[in-house]
Amino acid sequence: MIALEFPEINSILRWKDLFPTFNKIALIAVLAAVISIAIFMLALRQDHREAPKGIRNLAEVIVEFIEDGVVMQTMGKEGLPWTPFLMTMFLFIYLCNVPGIIPFFQMPATARMAVPLFLALMVWVIYNVVGIKHQGVLGYFKSTLFPPGVPKALYILVTPIEFISAIIVRPFSLAVRLFANMMAGHILLVTFALLSEALFQAKDKILIPVGILPFFMLIFLTSFEVLVAFLQAYIFAMLTAVYIGGAAHPEH
Amino acid sequence: MPTVIVTQSSGHIVQVRLVAGDTTETTVAEALAATSGEASPTAETAVKAAPNPIAPETKEIAWAAGSFIVLLVVLRYFLFPKLKKGMDERYASVRSDSEGADRVRAEANADVAEYEKALAAVRAEAAGRVDAARQTVDNERNTQLAQVNGRIAAARADADQKNAAAREAAQSDVASAVATVASRVAEIALGKAPEASVVSAAVASAMEGSRS
Repeated sequence: MIALEFPEINSILRWKDLFPTFNKIALIAVLAAVISIAIFMLALRQDHREAPKGIRNLAEVIVEFIEDGVVMQTMGKEGLPWTPFLMTMFLFIYLCNVPGIIPFFQMPATARMAVPLFLALMVWVIYNVVGIKHQGVLGYFKSTLFPPGVPKALYILVTPIEFISAIIVRPFSLAVRLFANMMAGHILLVTFALLSEALFQAKDKILIPVGILPFFMLIFLTSFEVLVAFLQAYIFAMLTAVYIGGAAHPEH
Repeated sequence: MPTVIVTQSSGHIVQVRLVAGDTTETTVAEALAATSGEASPTAETAVKAAPNPIAPETKEIAWAAGSFIVLLVVLRYFLFPKLKKGMDERYASVRSDSEGADRVRAEANADVAEYEKALAAVRAEAAGRVDAARQTVDNERNTQLAQVNGRIAAARADADQKNAAAREAAQSDVASAVATVASRVAEIALGKAPEASVVSAAVASAMEGSRS
């Protein structure tokens, strides 16, 4: 029997302050904003009349991806003014996710509940405000809690369910989906990295070749996290668009 | 520190367990005891003291919110509108160029159609002229041919007439000669000259017989 020390869970999720109140999560969040701004500032330095290339091409691809892949799919043309917000959301989450597989960072900021919680609460406030603005207080809560087409007797069951689903569970599920996926990925990477290291450095020489198995798993999961980082950002932006679109136009 | 306990049997890993431990010194035996419900007071104290790993920290919320809001404001009010305006201008320019190209193509197609129409008219006119010329040539040839054939027929009739006269004269000469010879032969044989009319009739009859 061999034993390896698994670090305390807090030691792989909580980070010491680099300077007061500023830890690795804050650094990643700030870098996400700075990198996003830098991409667009560099893109704007190129002549817009020429065919886009390099960083401008990247920026335009991001804009078109959000417009065609998120806004038009969920909100239609009326939702196009929401493109900057949804693009900011997508970029910020993606750039907070990606450091989970970048050496030296090796921590997605979204694996801490703070980031998803803030974003989900903000989305919750926004879609409720949009719903009230478009339909009025009564109209919004009527369309949310009393969905049309349901027999009146069933409202006894449906209304509490809709209240819990739309008002309470939505922000919670939005936050937990992102947080849990990223934290699980992070812990899996840590686990397989530690296991690989322990097996490669085992005193019992027969265990050293066995280390290749968790090492391959580590490589596979790292590749998988590239996909997860994008997918979770896309899902969060997509659901945000669905919630805002649904609040603005419940008939859709 | 939490400890992973890996159980091996014949060199194979058969079980991996993560057990909670304290932050100081926890032996494997104590950790195993902790998992079986006999955790030491030290371990329990350590677990209670550790912060909840999923609880959000205010400072992280603040930094995330600040970064996001700054990014949103900068993108929404400064960078995105400029980029989008540039994209729209380029799309409009491309659309305009494309429409211009379509217009030029349509004009070129119209020119080609007009050219082909003119070409067809010229070809039709040329074909008409060629047909008229061919008709004229045919008429001229037929006229010439008729004239030549007429001349040939006249010449042939004249020649036939001359031939017939020459043949008649020759036959007359031959008959006269034969009659003379026959008269002399008969005079020698009979001792007297036969009548000229009888000889001429006999010669004419003989020549007539040989001709038939």
